[in-house]
Amino acid sequence: MCLNSDLEMLMARYQQGDLTAATALIQRLSPQLHRFFVVQFASRVDADDLLQETWLRIHEVRHTYRAGEPVLPWFYAIARHLRVDHYRKALRTAAREERLEELPEVAAALPAGSGRTPDLEALLAHLPESQREVIEMLKIAGMSLEEVARATSSSVGSVKQKAHRAYERLRERLSGMGLNTGRTGGRP
Amino acid sequence: MRDNEIDELLRQAAQARLDVDPALLDRVAKSIGSSLHPVRPLPPAWILTGGLILICLAVALAGAARSGLYGIQKLSVLERVVIFPALGILIWLGASASVSELIPGSRRRTAPASLLGAGSFAMLAVFAVLFRDYRTDHFVSQGVVCLTAGLLHAIPAALVSWLLLRRGFAVNPVAAGLVVGTLAALAGVTMLELHCANFEAPHVMLWHTAVMPVSAAVGALLAWAALLRPRSGAHRRSAPE
Repeated sequence: MCLNSDLEMLMARYQQGDLTAATALIQRLSPQLHRFFVVQFASRVDADDLLQETWLRIHEVRHTYRAGEPVLPWFYAIARHLRVDHYRKALRTAAREERLEELPEVAAALPAGSGRTPDLEALLAHLPESQREVIEMLKIAGMSLEEVARATSSSVGSVKQKAHRAYERLRERLSGMGLNTGRTGGRP
Repeated sequence: MRDNEIDELLRQAAQARLDVDPALLDRVAKSIGSSLHPVRPLPPAWILTGGLILICLAVALAGAARSGLYGIQKLSVLERVVIFPALGILIWLGASASVSELIPGSRRRTAPASLLGAGSFAMLAVFAVLFRDYRTDHFVSQGVVCLTAGLLHAIPAALVSWLLLRRGFAVNPVAAGLVVGTLAALAGVTMLELHCANFEAPHVMLWHTAVMPVSAAVGALLAWAALLRPRSGAHRRSAPE
């Protein structure tokens, strides 16, 4: 709650043209927005591009944030929009590209580049996109059900249902991997 | 494995920091700093919603007054008491949904497609209950006139609504087009109920209600077409003014 009010204050100062507030927002929110993209794409290159694009878009539409409203859903709604847009463009590009018989080494090396990240991406990789983003927002970004519903333009009931289904899938997967109480899927 | 164990697993996995390249953050900060100036936030949602409701009512009343208020004169008190409040509620829902679609992270009370479906069904039900004349005299010729008139009144309502909401940002442009199209259609349907004196049930149920899906589809298609257009001026717009 305190973090949210802090972010709201920074956002209000950013709207007033305060560069310190803008920089503070970039420093504080970039890691979690970046993770949001990495979890979806598992590629740091794409995530870097999207993060940069997201901040430019946020800057462009910063007047649409209204004081007193939760900040995180506003940021995540814009980030999500850019992710969907990027995904659509990628699909269009992929449809035009000719597929090579074997993937080049560099493509295979990309996930390895994210070796510093925990196994979170691997853990969530098998979830459908809509469930993955809900889990990411709820459990990693620490947003409430109401905030996730706002960010994803859906209802609280729908968010609950997606989280429930995601947990069922995770449970199946983790049980299949032989993970029991006390064991962790992420690196310390 | 229990839910709290999965929670713990996710919490531990999330604890490991995912560092973002500091050079990237510097670039972003510099890029934003070069075009940073104070901005005026959007007005409160209730002002925008009120504005949209007024636009719809003004378009409907002006259109009906110009063409003649024959419909409302011929309607019984019961019919007036049922039809116009129903349209009023739908216009309020449509206006509120339109504002939500144009402000990122807003609470969404009604999904655009549900509003269109439920709105069309509600008006169909109201007309089916109130009008019991099942003749189909000049069904197509009079129907096309009403559909065209409804859509022609939806156009100014949509344009002025878009003007009011132009500072907003649609995270889902197609949904925004759909909902603004539905709202504009409601202005057209209201005009038809004020003006049209043809109370044959098939005419009202088909041709008056059809304004809603047609206008919503046009709104969604226009938004989709805009979405396919490359955003060439996007970065330029963030330049200092």
